[in-house]
Amino acid sequence: MESLPQNAAQLMSPWNPGVFALAVYTGVVIVMIALLLYVTGRLGPRRQNPIKESPYESGMSPTGSARFLYPVPFYLVATFFLVFDVEAVYIFSWAVAFRGLGWVGWLQMSFFIIVLFLSLIYIWKKGGLDWGPEAGGGTGIRKPGL
Amino acid sequence: MGTRGRRGDGDTQTRTLKRLDQVFNWAHENSLWPMFFGLSCCFIEEAATLTARYDLARFGAEVMRGSPRQSDLLIVSGTVFKKMAPVVLRLYEQMADPKWVISMGSCSNSGGMYDVYSVVQGVDQIIPVDVYVPGCPPRPEALLQGIILLKQKIEARERPAAPVLGKPGGTQGTDGPILVDGLNKSRDTRGPGYEGVPKRGTSLTPPLFPGSRSDLMWVPPAPRIRLSDADRSLASALGEKFGDSVRQIPQTTDMPAFTVDAGSLREVLGYLKNESKPAYQRLDDLTAIDESARRRRHPECIEGPVCDREVGLSDFTMVYHLLSMDSAKRLRIKTGLRGDRPVAPTVTGIWPSADWYEREAYDMFGIRFDGHPDLRRILMPPDWEGHPLLKSHPYRATEMPPYTRLDAEVHRSLDASYLVEGAERKDTILLNYGPQHLGTHGVIRFVLALRGEQITDVGTDIGYHHRAAEKIGERQSWHQYIPYTDRVDYMNGVGNNLAYLGSVETLAGIKVPDRAKYIRVMLAEFFRINSHLIWVGTFLHDIGMMSLNFYAFREREQIMDIIEMITGGRLHPSWFRIGGVAADLPDGWKGAVEAFVSIFPARIREYEKLVNRNPIVKARTVGIGPLTAREAIDWGVTGPNLRATGVEWDLRKKIPYSAYDAFDFEIPVQSAGDCHARYLVRMEEMRQSLRIIEQAARDMPPGRHITDEYRYTLPDKNDTLKDIDSLIHHFINVTRGPKMPVGEAYSAAEVSRGEQGYYLVSDGMNMPYRLRIRGPDFANLQVLPRTAIGRSISDFQAVLGSMDYIMPDCDR
Repeated sequence: MESLPQNAAQLMSPWNPGVFALAVYTGVVIVMIALLLYVTGRLGPRRQNPIKESPYESGMSPTGSARFLYPVPFYLVATFFLVFDVEAVYIFSWAVAFRGLGWVGWLQMSFFIIVLFLSLIYIWKKGGLDWGPEAGGGTGIRKPGL
Repeated sequence: MGTRGRRGDGDTQTRTLKRLDQVFNWAHENSLWPMFFGLSCCFIEEAATLTARYDLARFGAEVMRGSPRQSDLLIVSGTVFKKMAPVVLRLYEQMADPKWVISMGSCSNSGGMYDVYSVVQGVDQIIPVDVYVPGCPPRPEALLQGIILLKQKIEARERPAAPVLGKPGGTQGTDGPILVDGLNKSRDTRGPGYEGVPKRGTSLTPPLFPGSRSDLMWVPPAPRIRLSDADRSLASALGEKFGDSVRQIPQTTDMPAFTVDAGSLREVLGYLKNESKPAYQRLDDLTAIDESARRRRHPECIEGPVCDREVGLSDFTMVYHLLSMDSAKRLRIKTGLRGDRPVAPTVTGIWPSADWYEREAYDMFGIRFDGHPDLRRILMPPDWEGHPLLKSHPYRATEMPPYTRLDAEVHRSLDASYLVEGAERKDTILLNYGPQHLGTHGVIRFVLALRGEQITDVGTDIGYHHRAAEKIGERQSWHQYIPYTDRVDYMNGVGNNLAYLGSVETLAGIKVPDRAKYIRVMLAEFFRINSHLIWVGTFLHDIGMMSLNFYAFREREQIMDIIEMITGGRLHPSWFRIGGVAADLPDGWKGAVEAFVSIFPARIREYEKLVNRNPIVKARTVGIGPLTAREAIDWGVTGPNLRATGVEWDLRKKIPYSAYDAFDFEIPVQSAGDCHARYLVRMEEMRQSLRIIEQAARDMPPGRHITDEYRYTLPDKNDTLKDIDSLIHHFINVTRGPKMPVGEAYSAAEVSRGEQGYYLVSDGMNMPYRLRIRGPDFANLQVLPRTAIGRSISDFQAVLGSMDYIMPDCDR
């Protein structure tokens, strides 16, 4: 079996991004979006009335405002997701430079991952990942008489 | 050649616009975006149009959009109800411009066969329409033809370039006028100029039917049941305990019955539920009768002799149908009420399910219930005037002022905050889930009170599909009503006919030949499979598995082919007749049935392979929406939803009707009572139905397809060509319809969703005096959505999907 080339990543993805290409791409995206927005805004028929302006909610007029106190659990889950997501960035960058960093890097990263893992278990045990309905709860049937 | 240079600027501009018109029209017609919007039966055929066999994608109208913001084609598929019309208008207004409207089916075109107080006589009275697709329901091919016509209309008649470029002139989208009765349309199907002439002759004018020729006809009296020892001991026990306030009704056709004074009604019913032997655990049905138009009260209408009847001259009668599940017996309790605005005691303390039934009696008759916790309208819009089932209320929509666009703009459903508790809390948001929602499978509105994702309360608002089937029954002859029954549960086709005819045939004591019974059973079971197939497809779609829909519709089309071969219809064959079926089985029926029987078991296994071990399906269904057996019985839950709670109760076995006692099959039961158990029960039921079909095809007895007692039936056509007796019966029964003996009968059939019962009251006329439909979903919907309280929206959707309800059966 042949030995792997030095830079396996290079072989599998022979793409050399340059700043120029990125700039062109960004420019195309911006022009495209601007053009689409302009054309649809300009050519699309506009017929405005209060019903059309109001939110769609299964064909009913909505009750109350959409600005209300949202329960905290949602933010917790979102924050946890963000934290673990960002930390994945470190792991990926380490994987790219895996050979250069050697065993020292491996040890450090293992330590990092273990700490992450322990904290995940901690959150899990604390119930931070329990999304949705509260634990327990019966059938919820209310007898008449309310 | 030379002319080009001499053309003026205007001409060039016109030519450019014309080119542009072609470009825009090409774009418009090939990228129509229909909204995922359905009102009733027609939508089933619209959904079939999406599937592989009809393949709507060929026409560039590929994916139905869930929101009006993303759609530009509104296919109004089904009946436009007055309670729903404001929603239709709102959805239309919220759609993207330019937009088009296809009116699909007779109801949407003109009200169709529903010329009745709750139905708008044509959607064109509230929104403009481009293309009308006739049919009831139109076949999928007809809808495809409608879409082709719309494309042609866009190409031929629309000039979108000018408005797009901001120039004067040109058209795009629907530009037809909204029609106004008397101005540019006539709601009268006979055409204009017939104002004031009753639709079917004065003798057929409800509620009094003056001078009806049925009074001149003689029929034998209704058959009587013989009371068993148990019935007699129940009567004596009731007599001992309650004395004179309970009186047995001496002559009944279907079940023992008692008249109870309103004062002791609650005690009697409580005793019957908890103490008597046998105990009547379940309240099958609760309804009322307006007695004001009884022929006995209006002797001027009657030319023949006046009949006696058991209930005296009360103004209203409350009717309670009870069921004893231990002894498989039914019991009827009647209570007379007096006055214009009568009051009855509530029985919600005995059966919680009475909550909705009493609200319905209040809504329909104006009867108040003393002690009811929440007495308000349930089916009619909150601002409706009058109580529709009163004999004094208008019958037809055409007797009432036309419904206009202004009505659709002014009327509103109740605000969500009236329907749930906890609406005032700062952290609670109210979400309308329906009436137009992909997950509600029909026009029903739930209001969810949400704290985050968690549901803290569920409010249910029904009546968006109220087609007034009960009121229509009071002016259709006994035969003419059969097509209306098809549409009560539009997935269940002739299964509904069977439920209705069960009562009619009990009332008149009609014997059905064996062959007809077998044909009826076979077709009813085909429709059960059809209904379960669509259920399994949509249920799994609800919880995130789209693929099964396409498999299920494939088999469903095969069933439809068999149904069409035998009956000539698809969704609504209306093929059963009083005393039999419309025609004998055609040549080649057996091969088609056997082909289905041979392939279907493998298809069920195929579904189960996809689903049964699927961890996502399990996670979404196991333990979700649980109901215990006791709760299910208390709330009147029937059908697979009841059997999923561990109660082995199936009318086909317990109170066999038609030919079911001749068949070998089992009642599938599960004990968990959750969404998963409901799935398992229905999958097994398909297998059992297949067994019944197999046996029916194998053992199909020879003989007549319709009884030869022609008093009540439409005679065999061949006979009418040969002898004068049959011809006379044919003539009478087709025109004025058969006369039924005075009396009443209740019987129920196990349809795919549960127990559908018909309670018929005959005053000795060619039309029922009162026709009451007990639909399984009215009871199921009262309790099952509430099992999702405390859980998340996704679980709520799983519960809704697993229940398998259908709105015309709930709202009727």
